[in-house]
Amino acid sequence: MPSAHSDTDLVKVDQDRNSQRWIAYIQKDLPEHLDWWPYTLGAIPLTLLGFLIVTGLLLTFYYVPSPGKAYESVEFITEEVYLGWFVRGVHKFSVDLMILFLLFHVIRVFLTRAYRTPGEWKWVTGAIVLFVTFAMGFTGYSLIFDNVSYWGMTVVTNMLGALPIVGTPLLYLLRGGEEVSDNTLLRLYDLHTKLLPVLLVVLVGGHVLVVRLIGFADVAGSRQSHPFYPVHTLLMGAVAVGMLLLIVDLVMIFPPTLGPPADLQEVAADVSPPWYFSAPFMVISLLPGPVALWGLLGGALLFVVYPFIDRELARRGWPMGVINATVGTIAIGALVILMYLDTQM
Amino acid sequence: MAIIHDDPGRRRFLSQAVMGFGLLFGMGLLGLRFVQFLVPTGTTKRNVPVLLGVEQSLPLNDAITMELGNHKLLVLRTNEGVAAFSRRCTDLGCLVSWDKRREQFICPCHQGIYDKQGRNIAGPPPRPLDRYEVVNRAGQVYVNLAT
Ligand code: FES
Repeated sequence: MPSAHSDTDLVKVDQDRNSQRWIAYIQKDLPEHLDWWPYTLGAIPLTLLGFLIVTGLLLTFYYVPSPGKAYESVEFITEEVYLGWFVRGVHKFSVDLMILFLLFHVIRVFLTRAYRTPGEWKWVTGAIVLFVTFAMGFTGYSLIFDNVSYWGMTVVTNMLGALPIVGTPLLYLLRGGEEVSDNTLLRLYDLHTKLLPVLLVVLVGGHVLVVRLIGFADVAGSRQSHPFYPVHTLLMGAVAVGMLLLIVDLVMIFPPTLGPPADLQEVAADVSPPWYFSAPFMVISLLPGPVALWGLLGGALLFVVYPFIDRELARRGWPMGVINATVGTIAIGALVILMYLDTQM
Repeated sequence: MAIIHDDPGRRRFLSQAVMGFGLLFGMGLLGLRFVQFLVPTGTTKRNVPVLLGVEQSLPLNDAITMELGNHKLLVLRTNEGVAAFSRRCTDLGCLVSWDKRREQFICPCHQGIYDKQGRNIAGPPPRPLDRYEVVNRAGQVYVNLAT
């Protein structure tokens, strides 16, 4: 049947052309400024997310999300399982570094105002990625179920419960009851291992896609230079290997530890959360509850919609470059001071 | 009876609108049921007096912690009488404990401080500690718990 034959041929040609298009698309040359490291900070969290998924999957084989067993199972992973301490350590340091580099990435974008039209959605999707990552951090350290986790769970769920209207239902939804209970741990486990990772991967995918579709920000004097493959891909590979080496070293020097198990009768003497929460932690320690809550929420909202604010103000002739530099410096300064205060308490 | 606007476009629009609304309503209800599935039902509350003991047997100016049902309490006897407080900090729900030397209730989470009467005097807590009603019947102290 000659006609059928030519049909498949046509499809094949079409497929070829399609894949050619995709290759050409991915191969689109990258602008020169991507050679300078501050412009590559987004790829590092992406790599770390990969590490987190792999080690996280491994950890789920031993972790038991029940209040009676959770702490024990983490202890088992850390002390008995072959290389368990190592896998847990890589998971832990990956999230620390992921958040650190996300922050660097945000700071770079903020200072260079790379979110300007048409890049608003790059910023918005990225900002949400940051918040979901924080949620992953919170649910993750709750799972350890040591005393700091337990009271952290109580404090954070209570804070969400203080929101108007949605607060009480949300509190019940998260806790699965009036109090932090067996249900709560299971729910946070489900969030940490199912809902949030899927959300995070979709959002990160969306963010990368938006960046690819909209293109990289224009930087004066930056021309098209190297192709995505092999030059840039190799570079990213090198970064990934470098990160892996760094993390392996960190894990060996600072192997993961465990606090005392959750005590439902007594709050831990020092309930300081991991470093990436110490700034909000100090805010809720220093300000009365509602003020702190609204301050944090308002700050988060401002952060997400910042490109639109910038656009509006720039239209009115405000010197946004200078303003961003000032705001950035003040924000970083405040973060550092709050973290320092936390270590002093 | 004259029907003035009986054109097909308008009829289609109306039927689609009604259908769309109905579907949306149905979906909303379905969604709500699923949320209800996730939120366990609460139990009804009633007051139960629980005997704490003879007033004189409680230590003076020293709060004792106890757990009755799922209530965590601090019972403090002063010269004014016996008071029972909830241990739950009114800020974000950590457990407060009694500092004997300072005669204050201290919350370790964000350094909330309450005085002997349970009034919030420092730190983030927005209101005094919750109190349980204490009844004294001929020297026997009861506390009223809502369970
Ligand atoms: S929970 Fe007690 S001071 Fe915040």
